[in-house]
Amino acid sequence: MATMSRKLGEQAVAALRRGAPASKLYSFAHVVIRPGHTAAHLWHGAALLVAVIFLLPLVWMTMASLQPIGLPPARAWTGFPAGVAWSNYAEIFRVIPLAQQLGNSFLVSTVGAGVTLLTASWAGFAMVQMSPRVQHWLVGLALLLLLIPANAVWLPRYVLFARLGLIDTYTALLAASLMGTKSLFVLMYYWSFRRVTVELFESAWLDGASVWTGWRRLAMPLAAPTTLAVLVLSFSHYWSDFVDPLLFLKTAARFTVAVGLRSLQQMDVTRWSLLLAAVVVMIAPVMLLYIGLQMWLRDEPDFARRVLRRLFD
Amino acid sequence: MSLLTVQGARASSYRFSPRMRHHLQLWLLLMPFLAGALLLIGLPALITFGLAFTRYDALGTPVWVGLENFAAIIRREVFWIAVRNSLLFAAIAAPLQVTGALLLALLLHPERRGVHLYRSSIYLTTVIPDVAFALIWLWLLNPLYGPINALLGWFGAPQPAWLIESGTALPALALMAATRVGEGMLLLIAARQALPVVYFDAAMLDGAGRWQSFRHITWPLLAPWLLLLLVRDVVVGAHSAFTPVYIMTGGGPGYATTLLPFLIYEEAFSHLRIGQAAAMMAVMFGVIGLLVGFVFQRTRGWGYGDDV
Repeated sequence: MATMSRKLGEQAVAALRRGAPASKLYSFAHVVIRPGHTAAHLWHGAALLVAVIFLLPLVWMTMASLQPIGLPPARAWTGFPAGVAWSNYAEIFRVIPLAQQLGNSFLVSTVGAGVTLLTASWAGFAMVQMSPRVQHWLVGLALLLLLIPANAVWLPRYVLFARLGLIDTYTALLAASLMGTKSLFVLMYYWSFRRVTVELFESAWLDGASVWTGWRRLAMPLAAPTTLAVLVLSFSHYWSDFVDPLLFLKTAARFTVAVGLRSLQQMDVTRWSLLLAAVVVMIAPVMLLYIGLQMWLRDEPDFARRVLRRLFD
Repeated sequence: MSLLTVQGARASSYRFSPRMRHHLQLWLLLMPFLAGALLLIGLPALITFGLAFTRYDALGTPVWVGLENFAAIIRREVFWIAVRNSLLFAAIAAPLQVTGALLLALLLHPERRGVHLYRSSIYLTTVIPDVAFALIWLWLLNPLYGPINALLGWFGAPQPAWLIESGTALPALALMAATRVGEGMLLLIAARQALPVVYFDAAMLDGAGRWQSFRHITWPLLAPWLLLLLVRDVVVGAHSAFTPVYIMTGGGPGYATTLLPFLIYEEAFSHLRIGQAAAMMAVMFGVIGLLVGFVFQRTRGWGYGDDV
């Protein structure tokens, strides 16, 4: 459809170039614009409907988190008959040690993302410099590792960490960051560095640059978008991780927010707004990071303008 | 510090040629990944398999018992219930997830105005942490106060008790898992955009309609990706189904939502029967491994390799 209208448009332009009177063009315009518009409206309608369906639970949840506590939740949506209870967001920090858990999560996620950044980029960088045969094997290994689900290694990891005395420490949570957290991150760097021409690195080696210098001065600056993506993905990996802290952490004071929230699941129905408020608090950083990443990756330095262009473009 | 490094490099240059030193440095950079892959994934996966042949309570030393664990688990009814539930869960969730991702990709692949906004809104629901997602759905699915039943009541539709009833609990969990389509959608959008436009133009010149273009061009060319996505959803689903069960149902009502990952967790960490848990794990990954091996054999040369 689109191609057809483009062709008609080209015909119209060609006719105009040949000196056809502008009034003649109406018939072209009629064909070109009308059906295109209807289709576009239909498409926007469908896309908007789908987007709304996906976002609706989040909107509902945010509104429900602002209902005053102590009342049974409304059966149907009735607005805010008893007022908007912003105080729920203060109350939730009193009901559970949310501030402490957020702090723990922030610590674990930041360290995890930082270490992941180093190890994943080192591995990806080294892979690119290897011979094609070795590269082939390493990529195969990384893809294979992607297919091994985390729960296949629950038991031995638990036993291993127990033997090493690492149970109830953050080292147990962060151990995977030493291998780049997920082999996906290594692959992301590998694919990103592969786009850099080999000659660039070759000439650096000929000039006597060390591998370390090549990584720091050449490779990393060229892979900035990948770095940003890996930081966001690995940060939210550690932020969201539920099973590892469930298995490895014992002391409540060390809980991350993912395991901390578990204590809310049995909350009384009249206090559900608190539960949902806590969920909103937990989700918010991850959401903001993803939205930020999406906008940053459009390689536009002017952030605010980017936001506006996204909304109205 | 930097002085030391320089001296160290000089000293080593007496022993190694520059070329060898270069390669040594490269392998050094690769070492954390390789060591981690070996120690945290490779060996543990093998050890899991080994533990399946032992009696072990995480405290003493494992005792070799041969196939006793396998004999024990196949005699336990709950194991077969969990196998059946897991298969049913995968059979509902994975195809729905792939179909949903495909439909969304077909709708949202054209680079039109505002398309990023639509894609982002769908992708955003995928990045919600598992625990938060489970808690949100615990509320959405509440039979008395949840918005889903309120909505159904508004339309006059029947309002099931969802997680409280054994008949609807598992389908409800599967439906919930099937809504996480963001990654699959992005993958299929990329795959769809990579298809050459000339195919579609040529088909249109020959008078093919939308359905015919889809049936004879898009579908066969996307089929390898769909298959890959299906396998991924089954494999990932085997892991990610743990959190919702743990948070939302605890395996109940009765054993209605006891999936294998949850049963394995209970066996290993509540009852400390690590040998039996490992045997269940071995069975689960044996089945998944066969499936993945089959698909990889079928998809060899379908463009999924190191030249991505």
